[in-house]
Amino acid sequence: MCLAIPGRITSIRDDAGLTMGVVDFGGVRRDVCLQYVADEVSVGAYVIVHVGFAIATLDEEEARRTLEVLREMNLLDELDAMTASAEPPSEEAGNGP
Amino acid sequence: MKYLEEYRDAEIAKSLIARIRARATRRWTLMEVCGGQTHTIVRQGLDELLQGAVEMIHGPGCPVCVTPLEQIDKALAIAARPKVIFTSFGDMLRVPGSDSDLQQVRARGGDVRVVYSPLDALALAQRHPDQEVVFFAVGFETTAPANAMAVWRARDLNVKNFSVLVSHVTVPPAITAILDAPGNRVQGFLAAGHVCAVMGWEEYEPIAAKYTVPIIVTGFEPVDILEGISMAVSQLEGGRHEVENQYARSVHRRGTPPARARVQQVFEMTDRRWRGIGEIPMSGLRLREEFSAYDAERRFGVADIRVAEPEACKAGDVLTGRLKPTQCPSFGTRCTPEQPLGAPMVSTEGACSAYYSIVKHRAAEAAPAAQ
Ligand code: SF4
Repeated sequence: MCLAIPGRITSIRDDAGLTMGVVDFGGVRRDVCLQYVADEVSVGAYVIVHVGFAIATLDEEEARRTLEVLREMNLLDELDAMTASAEPPSEEAGNGP
Repeated sequence: MKYLEEYRDAEIAKSLIARIRARATRRWTLMEVCGGQTHTIVRQGLDELLQGAVEMIHGPGCPVCVTPLEQIDKALAIAARPKVIFTSFGDMLRVPGSDSDLQQVRARGGDVRVVYSPLDALALAQRHPDQEVVFFAVGFETTAPANAMAVWRARDLNVKNFSVLVSHVTVPPAITAILDAPGNRVQGFLAAGHVCAVMGWEEYEPIAAKYTVPIIVTGFEPVDILEGISMAVSQLEGGRHEVENQYARSVHRRGTPPARARVQQVFEMTDRRWRGIGEIPMSGLRLREEFSAYDAERRFGVADIRVAEPEACKAGDVLTGRLKPTQCPSFGTRCTPEQPLGAPMVSTEGACSAYYSIVKHRAAEAAPAAQ
């Protein structure tokens, strides 16, 4: 469960003092906290995400390759968890990406 | 055998294996401390491909597996209460406590929900102000920044019906404990890439120097792991013992400083029991006093629960390399992923579960007609 997976930032916003954004993981989109990498990223940048938090940045080619390898090795539990999680916060916001 | 066949960088992997074999003048014993790496090593058969040159011991790198029994029992006690929504990462639901697990508590009417992120749990608390929302904050340093932020946010937003049951563990004290254990065989370590993405590797430098062991910050793909092993073997053959970074694409020496800072603000170090291993001094994180209002142990009065671990599970021996999972008498008989006796059989990152799936896979290959 320490796996972090790469995705591309499609939007960034300020949520009452917390830098949040939407990240696209090869088709699956999710709200992600970008606070820890806020100084380094802009829309279009690639980040590695663990339990809804970007913990580091990555370049595009690397991100693509990593996602493919993860898929091959059936290590995308993290992505399943994302889509399966009961009540995503974006539902509360009522205005999806 | 299908080792590496469905892996697209198989040729690179094979040449790395040849290189490691050529360089090793004796058999070296290395340990990985990362459930993702354990999964890759066992699934891709890397340990068998390296047989004779390198022995891999699968260390306590799965946070689900090392969460102590008493923390699970505390979770079960809280989750069973009325007006509580107990939230957790999905892989904790089937971890056996003393006499039940979270899934069973849910089946008996407890409100147990899986969340993807601790911020989801906080949002749930905001939506249900008349209920207590508790989040089971487990994990290594990779997860600590997320859990720290959820507590920080709860305070910022003045969410009073949110609390966390903290069972965080940190990797360097576990490495030190393994090296200090009598009869230790580990000669070098692969450190977990995503733990180091947050923390960097400064903490590992004094360990490498004091115990004269190479420590390689390593990713979790087959080629990463083989590169990490190759770097460790080169150091061992050359009589060196340094921290080296194989996973340069995601890890910098100081990690991600804003994440480290938030963890420091919310948590402090504490002694922590590791399931199957016992107490390791200063190996855990707990909430700082100023955040004690968010401590579920205090809020629900469960801080004093202490339990002894069952004898039948040999997780401690497995996680420290004294036994292979297949040498545990319960492996595959009393203990299976469907009916796990111990935590390493629950998570896909647990060593026992990884071995179980590969043993099954090979049995099916050997007798295709049977399936
Ligand atoms: S096989 Fe099961 S009982 Fe044996 S060590 Fe692993 S988890 Fe414990």
